[in-house]
Amino acid sequence: MSRLAEAMEREQPAPRAAAPVLRVSDLSKRYSADGPPALSGVTFDVGEGELLAVVGPSGCGKTTLLRLLCGLIPPSAGAVLFDGEPVQRPPREFALVFQDYSRSLFPWLNVSRNVMFPLRGAGLARAERIARAEAVLAEVGLHGVARSYPWKLSGGMQQRVAIARALVSRPELLLLDEPFASIDALTRAELQDLLLRIHSGVEHRRVTIVHVTHDIDEAVYLADRVLVLGAAPGRVIGSIEVGIARPRTQTTTRSSPQFLAVRNQIHDVIAAKEATR
Amino acid sequence: MAASVARVGRPLLGVAVFLAALAVWEAWARSKGSILVPPASSVVETAWEVWPTTDFLTGVGASLRRLAAGFAIGAGVGIGLGLVMGSSTRARRALEPLVEFCRAMPAIAIVPAAIVLLGLGDAMQITVIAFGLCFPVLVNTLAGVRAVSPEVRDTAAMLQVGALERIFRIYLPGALPSIVAGLRVAVSLGLVAVVISEFVGEGEGLGRYIRLQQTEFDVPAMYCGILFLGLLGYVLNRLFLVGERRVLSWHYGSVGEGVGR
Repeated sequence: MSRLAEAMEREQPAPRAAAPVLRVSDLSKRYSADGPPALSGVTFDVGEGELLAVVGPSGCGKTTLLRLLCGLIPPSAGAVLFDGEPVQRPPREFALVFQDYSRSLFPWLNVSRNVMFPLRGAGLARAERIARAEAVLAEVGLHGVARSYPWKLSGGMQQRVAIARALVSRPELLLLDEPFASIDALTRAELQDLLLRIHSGVEHRRVTIVHVTHDIDEAVYLADRVLVLGAAPGRVIGSIEVGIARPRTQTTTRSSPQFLAVRNQIHDVIAAKEATR
Repeated sequence: MAASVARVGRPLLGVAVFLAALAVWEAWARSKGSILVPPASSVVETAWEVWPTTDFLTGVGASLRRLAAGFAIGAGVGIGLGLVMGSSTRARRALEPLVEFCRAMPAIAIVPAAIVLLGLGDAMQITVIAFGLCFPVLVNTLAGVRAVSPEVRDTAAMLQVGALERIFRIYLPGALPSIVAGLRVAVSLGLVAVVISEFVGEGEGLGRYIRLQQTEFDVPAMYCGILFLGLLGYVLNRLFLVGERRVLSWHYGSVGEGVGR
């Protein structure tokens, strides 16, 4: 095979697996019996190794959707299937990263112990757990902070710790709830690239990612596909293939005509929904 | 420079006010000239003689032992119930009315009942002390558990942390700053209960010593006992703060300096 052909093959968008890892069918959630539904009839699949971004205005039920996917709350109707099995409680293979890193890390544990926490029942020797934690901390770009307490670190570093804690148990599905929303713009770009690196393979394993955000540009930059949610009730109003070749970079990708086209397409979907209200 | 002078001056101001209060007492007592109102100087003089005596120190030891026993039981019950009520909505709904009812009763009000049930000895005294100090610990533990962030709760759920493990590895450390604040209040309340229970009960102790001197009209010695209680409370509180700063260094860092002084 010529080098050009090789390069072309590498730059193909990730092929979608035939069998989806996660199937969401007709999912609805009402928080009270007589109240309005937070989510209504949400159906979509997530393919193995796919990076799916979920965007939508605030109040469209993004966080509710994520909590349903994780089995943290039960649906009012419909189902979430992971590897064909209904998700009723949080599966071991899932990991969740929150927007508010300062409230999600355990403040009473130092960085190393925070990251090791998910391994506590894994039957690993302490030395092995420490080694795993150090490896994953290095993977997210943190060095020399293992013994610090979370509050000593900047917001971006704390979120890296939270991502390391999510990755240490080698999850098959990584779910992120607006993980970069409270982080300054420069650090946000770094963390977006970190997420792309994680997606392309942690320890040579591809990770499937569901990334909830309200930032359409971020969604297009990161995702294979963008799921657009509309509000009141929250439901899927569009599913848009991004199809931009990987690897992506902040400068080249974001200024490419393809990027602008996909981004405008998403804005159009949202505007069309607004017009019909 | 001005700032450093102010920093050095801060404890000095407190000492000055303290000494001024003693001076006012001294002047007032001298103007009265009654044996029922001894001047500060004569009380301090008496204290210098009385405090080191075996008699007095045995009483202090007995009081401290009761305080320790009551503290261990009351704080244990308070933390335990607080953790259970904080981690289970059902337990909280079931126990809250009872707890709120008992909490409303002043410790001193249960003394007669405790005497009827347990007599005048240590059992009654320790029960009163434990009762008096367990509620602030319980309330603070409960508040601390309920203040554990939803993100931490969700993280625990995602990591398959079971019910018992959640109590000990999530709620207990998460609520610790609040629990410790409750324990510090409990020490002061415990001291109050020690004195109350010794006023009416048997055996040696600081409360008993104060009552005895009062009935024998040894007014300066009575004040010696009272002043020693003040000193004891102050020292216990200081010791507690030192311990608290060590155990909760992670907490003071995360919420900034100047908390819990």
